[in-house]
Amino acid sequence: MKELNWNYPKTLADAEKLVRQENVLPHGGGTGLLLRNLTGVDGLIELSQLALRSVNVTENEVEIGSLCTYADVISELKKTDPEHILAQCLRHSANTPLRNRITIGGSIAMFPPWSDLMGALIALDAKVTLIGENSGDFPVEDYVKDSNLCKNSLITAVKFHNSGWRSAHYREIRTKSDMPVFNHTVLLKVEADKISESRIIVVGTASKFTRLTAVEDYLNSRKIDEIKPAEIEKLVNLKFAGSRIDDPDYSNIKAGIELGRMIVQMVRT
Amino acid sequence: MDEMFTVNGKNRKFTFEPDERLLHTLRNHGFSEVKNGCLEGECGACLILLDDKPVNSCQVLTASVIGRDIKTVKGIGNLHEPHIIQEAFVEAGAVQCGFCTPGMVLASFALLKENPNPSETEIKNALDGNLCRCTGYVKIIEAVKLAAERLGNGGME
Repeated sequence: MKELNWNYPKTLADAEKLVRQENVLPHGGGTGLLLRNLTGVDGLIELSQLALRSVNVTENEVEIGSLCTYADVISELKKTDPEHILAQCLRHSANTPLRNRITIGGSIAMFPPWSDLMGALIALDAKVTLIGENSGDFPVEDYVKDSNLCKNSLITAVKFHNSGWRSAHYREIRTKSDMPVFNHTVLLKVEADKISESRIIVVGTASKFTRLTAVEDYLNSRKIDEIKPAEIEKLVNLKFAGSRIDDPDYSNIKAGIELGRMIVQMVRT
Repeated sequence: MDEMFTVNGKNRKFTFEPDERLLHTLRNHGFSEVKNGCLEGECGACLILLDDKPVNSCQVLTASVIGRDIKTVKGIGNLHEPHIIQEAFVEAGAVQCGFCTPGMVLASFALLKENPNPSETEIKNALDGNLCRCTGYVKIIEAVKLAAERLGNGGME
């Protein structure tokens, strides 16, 4: 059996050279890598010596280094915007010791079906910064859809505009597991008594995530007091893969009910 | 691999495989107070402090933390010189089989170091990665409150 070879780059240039090699994987917190079989992997690139662990919040933009842990992001956003959608999502994700290890970059690269992070990033139109075979800034949505983008490339940061959304996150869990069956991220812009813009992402569907454009169309330009949860429920038609503990039809009905509830709560508070 | 680590304030050389988890490395080198529970990061039995932050050692590859500062529960107190938190766990009746206790004590230590006067909700949040299958959590939360009271506003320092 091949022995796993560890690499410890001290600069981004060194990391970039390593990530271009075949069969060598970046290591951030390692929690995602431990879910997969490392047999057959030639090497790991330990990234902790790189300066990729800071959160920069300006008036218009948030930029998060890929080595920031969930706990780092929650702690930084607490200073400026404790109810930021990312803080809402991440503080309920996993548990305290895991939030001290799971990194933002690793979570984007892995995108597990129970991800609490990805719905928010996609809804925020976030971009990832890559180095390696595909260098540059790419929408997170493209990154997760196009497997060529992640090939031999390393995420160094994720950034998004800060633009005054009302936001809410809902995670549907079962008693058997702390990992959500699905989760909703809803962003709304409310002007006077109307919704001017909305973004709704559901993570955990058969296609990993679904943007609910039918519900967005229903909401956009609609007066707040005309929003009816039952009408939102009817517009939700999600395909779930289902599992031993989850019936896809039940999940779809529950997703519609919870979405209706959360939107009404968001606009009336 | 042969590498140096700082464990409970002392330099230690560990021999380990490249794909070995820190939990196993610690236990293989005599740190049996780090318990082997779920191996999934869910139960907190293997909790240690890595650079003062609570992490599950089963979710850490040893080769990724070479040279770093590791604290196990024996690093904060032992049978002869228990830490105030350990005494509080005993006095509050927060220990039954004891398997979860090292992780619970270390998670409480990390909490009280950052927040000397935690609310009940803050205690529950800080212990959200530690499962107890004997006592339930009422006595454990009481123990953390008792420890906070005894440590006073000065906290751990």
